[in-house]
Amino acid sequence: MDKLGQLVKSLGLISGLLSLSLFISLSLAQNPELKIGFVGVTSGPAAAWGTSNLRSMETRAAWLNELGGVDIGGTTYDIKIVSFDDQKDPKRAIAGMEKMAAEGIHYVVGPNVDDGAAAVRPVAEANGIMYFPYAFPKELYTMPASNAVLGMVANYQSGPAIYEYLMENKGVETVAFVAANESDPLSQRDSGVAAAEALGLTVLASKDTYQNDTRDFTPVLTPIVKLQPDLLVLSGVAPGNAPLLIRAARELGYTGLISTETAQDAQVLMEGAGDLANGFISVGGASTPEIRSEVMEEFIQRYTDMFGEYNDESNTKVYALEYILETLKANPAALDDVEEFKATMDTFSVPNIYMKGDAVLEFVGMTSFGQKRQIAVPLVVNEYQNGEFVTLFVAKVD
Amino acid sequence: MKRQTIGIVATLLFSLIVVFFIPWLLDLTGRNDLYFTLTSVALLSIASAGVWLTFFIGRINMGQAAYALMGGYISTILVVNYGLSFWLTLPLAGFFCALVSVLIGLPILRLRGVYFAMTTLVLTEVSKLLALALPITGGASGIINIPLPKALKILGITLIPDFTTLANVKRAFYLLSVILMILCFALLYRLVHSRLGQLWRSLQQNEELASSIGVNISYLRLIAYAISSFFGGLGGAVFAAITQSMYPSNFTVNDSVNFMLNCFLGGLNYVFGPILGTFVLYFGWDWLFRMGKYQLLIFSSVLIVLMLFLPNGLLSLRFRRKSQA
Amino acid sequence: MIQVLANGLYLGGQYALIALGLTLIFALMNVLNFAHGQMYVLGGFITYTVYGRLGLPFIVALLASAITLALLGAAIERFLFRPVIRRSFREESTMLLAAAIAFFLDAIILLLFGEKQRGVPKIINGVLNLNFQLVMPYDRILIGVVAIILILAFILYMQRSKTGRALRALAQDRVAAQLMGVQVDRYSMIGFAIGAMLAGIVGGLLVSITGVSSGIGGPISIKAFMMVMIGGAGVISGAIAGGFILGMLESVGLSVLHSYGDITYLVIFASLMVFLSIRPQGLMGKPWG
Repeated sequence: MDKLGQLVKSLGLISGLLSLSLFISLSLAQNPELKIGFVGVTSGPAAAWGTSNLRSMETRAAWLNELGGVDIGGTTYDIKIVSFDDQKDPKRAIAGMEKMAAEGIHYVVGPNVDDGAAAVRPVAEANGIMYFPYAFPKELYTMPASNAVLGMVANYQSGPAIYEYLMENKGVETVAFVAANESDPLSQRDSGVAAAEALGLTVLASKDTYQNDTRDFTPVLTPIVKLQPDLLVLSGVAPGNAPLLIRAARELGYTGLISTETAQDAQVLMEGAGDLANGFISVGGASTPEIRSEVMEEFIQRYTDMFGEYNDESNTKVYALEYILETLKANPAALDDVEEFKATMDTFSVPNIYMKGDAVLEFVGMTSFGQKRQIAVPLVVNEYQNGEFVTLFVAKVD
Repeated sequence: MKRQTIGIVATLLFSLIVVFFIPWLLDLTGRNDLYFTLTSVALLSIASAGVWLTFFIGRINMGQAAYALMGGYISTILVVNYGLSFWLTLPLAGFFCALVSVLIGLPILRLRGVYFAMTTLVLTEVSKLLALALPITGGASGIINIPLPKALKILGITLIPDFTTLANVKRAFYLLSVILMILCFALLYRLVHSRLGQLWRSLQQNEELASSIGVNISYLRLIAYAISSFFGGLGGAVFAAITQSMYPSNFTVNDSVNFMLNCFLGGLNYVFGPILGTFVLYFGWDWLFRMGKYQLLIFSSVLIVLMLFLPNGLLSLRFRRKSQA
Repeated sequence: MIQVLANGLYLGGQYALIALGLTLIFALMNVLNFAHGQMYVLGGFITYTVYGRLGLPFIVALLASAITLALLGAAIERFLFRPVIRRSFREESTMLLAAAIAFFLDAIILLLFGEKQRGVPKIINGVLNLNFQLVMPYDRILIGVVAIILILAFILYMQRSKTGRALRALAQDRVAAQLMGVQVDRYSMIGFAIGAMLAGIVGGLLVSITGVSSGIGGPISIKAFMMVMIGGAGVISGAIAGGFILGMLESVGLSVLHSYGDITYLVIFASLMVFLSIRPQGLMGKPWG
């Protein structure tokens, strides 16, 4: 009887649990708030990416709610951020997107990586969700795909600008690339190599990779430093790895320039590499004191008050939520119809409150994607100097 | 005979519930999102069933993600590059994984304990690195825009409709996954309670003894490992069709560990343990998503407490009284 | 080439130290401690807080890491592993427990110390540069030497002290040791504490070179597993050999194969699989652990 009892009981237990779980999750009532979703990675080795994202959103939402909410089409909404940690697993990311759909959410920030962004695409399209990934594959943003909006400047856009600047101003002629052996960094490396070759740079090394969990980069960099390139590009480097790579390269006697096309954090660089990181070139949002507005200053202050410490990556990541809300304001019909949102994207343009001067928020991407599926974040190229970023130059993406 | 009848009735009842009652309930309540969650549970429990089977012969298998990844790539490449029907690639993916597992299993199945565990863990890493390095997998940029499964027709009769024409693709995938799950577990249950199962059980207890009474142990082990890998490949292949994308990171070491945890949690002595373990682990994590940043903390605390009080798995709960009696 | 060998030696030293704690716990209790990497990370963050934030001397910070982790290890053995081992039908159950503890520590570390990579000011500045044949920062040399001293001290302790002898007896044959009057429970706890403490010390030491970040525990555990497997599970000398071999393989592989790019680790892992299927007990292990 035991085997049989086991069978019957376990099947019963499973079915019971199944049904119970369904009934419990039914009790979710609709809230009057405007919910904006976040699906990204907030735990594990890449936690920094998603965390800075989510915290930017939460800071901005709390701020707007404190001001009395956001007026869209005559109704005032409180902004509620619904977050989901996908653990950098594409399977989880789908579950997260489904969750967002179930919550009636139409606008989601994330995922943070290529595979996650590709995996959620069918779900987003089936459920009428616009999502704002931080992933670069062009297929996500070119027709027939139309629900993804790139939330930052892609490396195939910033890379050429940086290389060109360095060729003209610093006399760079040779370049070497090093990337983590993972999808995102490798793709970024490949497009970086292509861009460098197109500009006429001599690529000395383009094959060197490291495991993302490497803690000591000296063995990785030893052969590259021997080549003595003018510029060392850390393709798609994780903020945590950047200082380690810089330190290892400098301590091996490397004297050339080091750059990356992803956003970094000054505090992390200072703690991890100290003065050795001086001169390190990276890409930021409205980051440097010269160009940031008072609103940005206040945002940084509020972020710091809420979470104890600011993250410079948020300079870029503050934008996605702003774009969603401003576009909704411009066309309230988009609240539950993303087709309206897409229609508005082509003409949308409002002042950028985070920057000094007359910069605007608008959707771009015609050159790269053939349709406006990218938010216009100022392409600010920074140089790290003694604990903070200094603007090298500012460019625009079209 | 009577026991068998009750067993069949119970299985039928369970099948009726997951195939008819749950979709009905989901449609009634509009909880469309749960389709994917339940689909994942079904597919992950198929892969976990494979891990469970290797546990059954006394091996800790931490390489199942390698076969899931392999299965996903085989199906995807056959569909995208060679235009094969998804329905044909599904068994092909499974058999390919089984074949590979025989080749790999020949040397490594001689290992035991942590040695087998670690070797298979390394296998998971190797498969990810291979996927990154081989040209046919698309390397780092993966394969995306995989078409949905087309119709399955035999002699002009449509057995399964074209998924692109369906109003609710999620339900279709759900049904596909749970039916596969039921088939796999029915197969597993039959195997474990057959003569082959008796022999496998003897391996778990004492290989030398089994060998000395004339059992061909390496042959038995290979069969179990091949079936296990078949399950892994099957799960991976369906996942690729659902996400319509395939990346080297689709199945990683974390998945291998999770498959193993699913088996542990359900209980290693119970055939249906993997379903329950996968369900509890997956839904436990999902439900806790409301706890925000405390999600992982609560999740892991509950796991620890579960282990402290039910170290033999959730299904062992019901046997306490019996063992005392 | 000298540079490559020096890199390998340095890497090997730190790997060996990580592997030692893991193999000790495995030898004593047949537990594969999935949380080893997390213990390393915790040790790193404690040193970071005491040295980097509070500004106390580095050695004090290291001691704080060592003591905290020893206590934590002892508590984990006493209150978690011991009851589970007693109650469970199959010894593999401890793997689930270890994994759950790893998740738990991950969560705690993330909540307490945040998601950012952390580092501390260099303990000594300057770089030894022998005409670019060998470039090695002084702090690396120091940490490398400390690592080797610690390894020697550990071996000495295991060989000479009463506790060390008891631990070795326990590792060799639990039942026999018990019959000979070794207090199994007590020494299991001590052994676990020492294993955890070693992880904490390495974490603390390396904060000054590579910093620490909350998510790296899992990958470090896996690397440590591999070293232990190369050398032979549960064998002290094996762990040391495994650490140095893996360090050297990485260093030489990354140098020699660098123009082929993505395949260095593929080659390392694949040859590890082949090696393990030919010689499952590793270099020095007893067959079947």
